Amino acid sequence: MAPTEQITLYSADYSPFAQRVRIALEEADVKYTMYEMNTRFIKPEWYYTINPFGKVPALTFGGPNVPPDQPSAESAKLVESMVILEFLADVFPEARLLPADPIQRAKARQFVEIYRNYVFDEFRDAFFRGKPVEGVLAALEKLQDALPPKTGFAAGAWSIADAAVAPLLAGMVLCVRAGIGAYTEENWQKLRAALESETFARFMQYIQDIHERPSFKKTWGNDDLQIEIWQNHPGVRRLRTAENAEGFPGGV
Amino acid sequence: MPERIVLYTAKICPYAQRTEIALEEAKAPHVKYQIDLQNKPEWYAPKVNPASKVPAIAYGGPEVPPDQPSPESVKLAESLVLVEFVADLFPESGLLPTDPVLRAKARFFIDGVSTKLVPAWQAYSQGKGPLEDYYKAVEYLQGLLPAHGFAVGQYSIADVAITPFLARARVALINDLGGYPEGEGPKVLEALSSGIGRFARFGKYFTDLLSRESFKATFDEAYITERYKARFANARSK
Repeated sequence: MAPTEQITLYSADYSPFAQRVRIALEEADVKYTMYEMNTRFIKPEWYYTINPFGKVPALTFGGPNVPPDQPSAESAKLVESMVILEFLADVFPEARLLPADPIQRAKARQFVEIYRNYVFDEFRDAFFRGKPVEGVLAALEKLQDALPPKTGFAAGAWSIADAAVAPLLAGMVLCVRAGIGAYTEENWQKLRAALESETFARFMQYIQDIHERPSFKKTWGNDDLQIEIWQNHPGVRRLRTAENAEGFPGGV
Repeated sequence: MPERIVLYTAKICPYAQRTEIALEEAKAPHVKYQIDLQNKPEWYAPKVNPASKVPAIAYGGPEVPPDQPSPESVKLAESLVLVEFVADLFPESGLLPTDPVLRAKARFFIDGVSTKLVPAWQAYSQGKGPLEDYYKAVEYLQGLLPAHGFAVGQYSIADVAITPFLARARVALINDLGGYPEGEGPKVLEALSSGIGRFARFGKYFTDLLSRESFKATFDEAYITERYKARFANARSK
């Protein structure tokens, strides 16, 4: 029996973590209210009663139907995108946001751990801190090895594991295509060559499969919007000063 | 009926103990195989866990000796993944509350352990981070605790996740082992576990965790003490 509790998602178009939750809500095909918080650093005071850390995403569940900017003390307040994804899988079991089989569930979660433990830091280091790109490429190969060999999503069928990685991986690939990042010209060429090579064919197939998923398409917006978002990421912008503009593909 | 479980583990490792505690809570039949982390068998990475770490589980497949793992068993790794796996295989264990909101609270608590407590402890114990950062991390988790009981009331995966780290911190602190100033260890432990003062609630929680049977059955304090004395022998020399 599907829950009838209200669901409100506090989201922002600049946040790939919020997109994770939007994807899962779309996959669950449930009614929810979305409230856009588009100021990155300062949030309205009432938001801190929902998320004391002031970040997005956050989700309220249950309680009376109230305007999103007047949250009720009675609703459950959930923060941390991965916690929210697991919550949605628990609340909507018939939506199969996670497989029913324990082994497949473990594989889905393991995939996210590989992303978290290996790819995430390397992505940040290569794209925002100008570190060599061999690290992120090695990490992406590890992730690729965890995919089913020929076709399919992380656990075979689509799951929250894919919702978890999709916004970040699609963002990374977009950054390579558009030359966004703190890497040198030489490293940019290495990244482009790698992603176009046979070595990453399975990975790029996964990226394509992600892009074709309706829940992803609906929540990604479009490439131009995403380019603007990633270009304006504080981590990228901070590095764009006159003294290190040289070597930036596409200039400052 | 769950299939055969072989757990590759190491007594020293807090991540591995998480899985051991979960299996104890579930009263799950399983085989434990100790991996010497300083001298790993050459078959371990290729046949069990390419990351070469513990814990790992070989699930199902033919009944083979643990040191001759079969390609037919499913190999799984990452301590939190394995704890959730055990909870999924043994729902009657109670490791996961039935209420999705409480499950989310448990997972949120675990996130705090991973992102705040463990890094702050590692920095402090190596003499690279201030005590107050560690205290703040503990205070944060204390703020999540209900008035009584475990992290979400009933014992859960949240408690499984934190216990091995607190137990090892206790061994280090009580023996004054680490890179922090000499003599500070026992005082910090007293503050955290006495049940009085700034960490009164946490102190009660600390005691409750270390009293749990599943913890006691999987913790070899003498062994860890000996290993820690060797590991931290030169932690304070400049």
